[in-house]
Amino acid sequence: MPGTADLSMPLRAPSPSLLPAALLGIACILAFSLLLLLRPQVPGDTETAAALDRILLWSSLAPRAAIALISGAALGLAGALLQRVLRNPIADASTLGIASGAELALTLGLSLSPLLVGASRELAAFAGGLAAVAIVLALSWRRGFDPVTVAISGMIVSLIAASLSVTLVLARGEYAMSIHIWGAGALNQQDWSGVISLAPRLAAGIAAAFLLLRPLNVLALDDSSAKSLGVALHAARFAILILAVWLSASVTATVGIIGFLGLAAPAIARLCGARSTGQMMIAAPLTGAAVLFLADCLTQVLGPGFSDLAPTGAATALLGGPLLLLLLPRVHGFSAVTARPDAVLRHLRKPGTALIVLAILLAAIFAAVLTIGPAEGGWSIATGTLFSDLLPFRLPRVVAAGGAGAMLGAAGFLMQRITGNPIASPEVLGVSTGGGAGLTVALFLFGFPSPAVMLSGMALGALAALLVMIAIAGRSGLSAERLLLAGIAISAFSMAIVSMVLAQGDMRSYILLTWMSGSTNRAGGFEAWTAVISLAVLTAPLFLMTRWLAILPLGAGLSRSIGLQVLPSRLILAVLAALMTAISSFLVGPLSLTGLIAPHLARLIGFQRPHHQLLGAILIGAGVLIAADWLSRVVIYPYQVPVGLFAALIGGPYLLWLLGRRS
Amino acid sequence: MKEPHPLTRRTMLSGAAALLATAGRVHSQVPGTRVATLDWALLETLLAIGADVVAATELRQFRQVAVEPEVPEDVADLGLRGTPNFEVLRFARPDLIFNSNFYAWADPLMSRIAPVENHAIYRPGESPHALAEQATLAIGERLQLPAARRMVDELAARLDRYRSLFAKGDGRPVLPINLGDARHYRVFGSDSMFGEVLQRTGLKNAWTGATSYSATAPVGIETLASMPDAWIVLIPPHPEDAFRALTGSAFWKALPAVRENRVLTIGSVNPYGALPAASRFADFLAEGFSHAGNG
Repeated sequence: MPGTADLSMPLRAPSPSLLPAALLGIACILAFSLLLLLRPQVPGDTETAAALDRILLWSSLAPRAAIALISGAALGLAGALLQRVLRNPIADASTLGIASGAELALTLGLSLSPLLVGASRELAAFAGGLAAVAIVLALSWRRGFDPVTVAISGMIVSLIAASLSVTLVLARGEYAMSIHIWGAGALNQQDWSGVISLAPRLAAGIAAAFLLLRPLNVLALDDSSAKSLGVALHAARFAILILAVWLSASVTATVGIIGFLGLAAPAIARLCGARSTGQMMIAAPLTGAAVLFLADCLTQVLGPGFSDLAPTGAATALLGGPLLLLLLPRVHGFSAVTARPDAVLRHLRKPGTALIVLAILLAAIFAAVLTIGPAEGGWSIATGTLFSDLLPFRLPRVVAAGGAGAMLGAAGFLMQRITGNPIASPEVLGVSTGGGAGLTVALFLFGFPSPAVMLSGMALGALAALLVMIAIAGRSGLSAERLLLAGIAISAFSMAIVSMVLAQGDMRSYILLTWMSGSTNRAGGFEAWTAVISLAVLTAPLFLMTRWLAILPLGAGLSRSIGLQVLPSRLILAVLAALMTAISSFLVGPLSLTGLIAPHLARLIGFQRPHHQLLGAILIGAGVLIAADWLSRVVIYPYQVPVGLFAALIGGPYLLWLLGRRS
Repeated sequence: MKEPHPLTRRTMLSGAAALLATAGRVHSQVPGTRVATLDWALLETLLAIGADVVAATELRQFRQVAVEPEVPEDVADLGLRGTPNFEVLRFARPDLIFNSNFYAWADPLMSRIAPVENHAIYRPGESPHALAEQATLAIGERLQLPAARRMVDELAARLDRYRSLFAKGDGRPVLPINLGDARHYRVFGSDSMFGEVLQRTGLKNAWTGATSYSATAPVGIETLASMPDAWIVLIPPHPEDAFRALTGSAFWKALPAVRENRVLTIGSVNPYGALPAASRFADFLAEGFSHAGNG
């Protein structure tokens, strides 16, 4: 197993190079001295000022430095444990969904009881993190915790958890600030209570890790050798996993989400020469502590006056994307996820008739959602003047949702064809979140941008994300597995940008929150026409490219031998897919997962030829989102659930089921 | 630590009296135009001048955060401010809809239900208090409600009275903040509504840092130590656990403002409010200071 070999066996002799470690240490000392020297002076008469300065130093600055070191060490240790136990170089609290799960549980807890403190707070975080990681691992169980499957399920679980948290935030309005701050992981302290609660946990974690050292070493071998050595394999794995989740959740409960530190620490430790499990268990916590400490010093030094430049957790999350890309060459999937597209369960004898039935079904749904709904004095079927009165509100959102669903269906179909991978979709490949980063930039440049500017920003962001991804993964001829992992990396990077702005808690973050939750409520003529026109313009050319779509999934080699120019054809299709993704995520948010479900259902129904599948995916995508839109406006009437989120709650479980299925 | 001065029943009553007395009378006399709004600042203005409000957003939250003016039970709830339910708005049959720049995107949709008039209160670089006065007068004129003019004049007079009252105080700056969690707060700078009330009552705002016409991004709690002279005014709503954790901490207890009893915890005020919020905030300040023997 190549993934195993990379972790356990050094490529060269284990000669711990002290240089990077020394550099890191020196950087920390320098940054801290700078922080001490440059810390802002308290105004007022000298005696009070000196007293306050002392308080600040010992009740804020010192515990903050300590909490940075402890949290960093705990996350570094958790990351190293997770990577070792799952034999996956990109496992950490962020990629496994532990942090988002803990955040969701805490948000939920805060909504239910405003006095969620101390032990109950930590318990909620632990339960949430454990639930998230349990889902992720259950899904990849049958694939032997294949790193690619784990990473993708982790990302989807994170997305769903994050979108649920966002909905709760939106629903609660003013109280949201604490959740913002906390979701972005700020390390500010005003006493030693955080340190006192976290330090013993870290110590216990380190002790337990050393007790588990032998099983850990054995685990670095593959399952059969481990079993023959007599280790109760599952029990050991389980214990280590629980330990890592507990460490991560404790940190999340105390200071919030610190993105991707568990990924960074072991990677840097390896750079510093740590090779054996024992070395790693010492080096990873140390580097984790150093990295977080350094990042925290920098946000304080660079921030104006007493303010920080950015929440530390959001700042470290920026490291996540690039690090994942750096680690790409180390990740070798067990080629389960990237297998050929699903075998079709049955063949449709008359695909034309089936398409007509689908179209009629879509028309029926369309008519139903336009007329049926709650009105004055209960439910009614709108007719006559009531219908014509309500039509201006119902029609644009239904058309926008339908158009977005259709485009997502087409985009998902394209991406699955380009990559030859059945779980590729706009959400999975990070194109949707790339659009979010573009939107963030537009918000910064224009303050209150018009819909057209927002749309352009998102289209540019999505395109940029896709192009960067193609450039990075392009060296391997766009190998499907690389593409997926690069997508996750870009998604992580884009989300880090978005969450830095979310932490500002101003009007811009409100716009971003609204976008993330994906609401069609604002749809008017502009949105409806955008949906219809772009659907027509962007999908029409696809029907002329069906040859490419039929050949590409067969793989680069075969495609080339048939005489297809692989790279240009993939590029053209990718650009079309990116545009469709950007426009639909403008309309329904980034999370709907329709781009994943629709092509799948089309295949499951039994459409075989590319153009049949494409049409099927378009019709199904439209139908799914129109139905979701209707549900989203009636379930908690007159309040409304954002449709993108609602669709994600349908699509998420489907994807999870798909991943968990035996191939 | 001594408990910060709690909100008394008397404050609430005295603060609301002037507004509500006039409002109730107008409401019963003139059946008037049926109005609706998406914006909370406009909602409180409309309610305070006695307009016949038939629909508004997030009423559950409004009743908790803004508290006053009271929202009659029969006002239809349009749902979240970000995603108002236009169908409910249509069923409420307003004759006129007031909207603000925050929700300008909804203008074309709502203009199918009733004419929409836009009034901005929070705009970068402009005084929210002046804009709120303008909006109040314009709305009063549009709806022919003389209570609007009375409210503007009465509030101006009251702020003047407080000005001379506060002039007898200790002259220390005031730091109006809203707790986010035990380690972060938002501060209301000179260009926020609360900042303007301070200015109009002759008080100095202790916050001189960056501000963005409402409240700043969350600031670390340790910065409280950098303003040792100031009165700290805590404006709810804040998470109860954050309040307890903060007020129990050694850092908090060591702050000069806390040791010297210069902390006021007032009642909840809508931070994006209009004149009724300004009036409520000013009354709370006067009440708090009078208890603390400051002016």
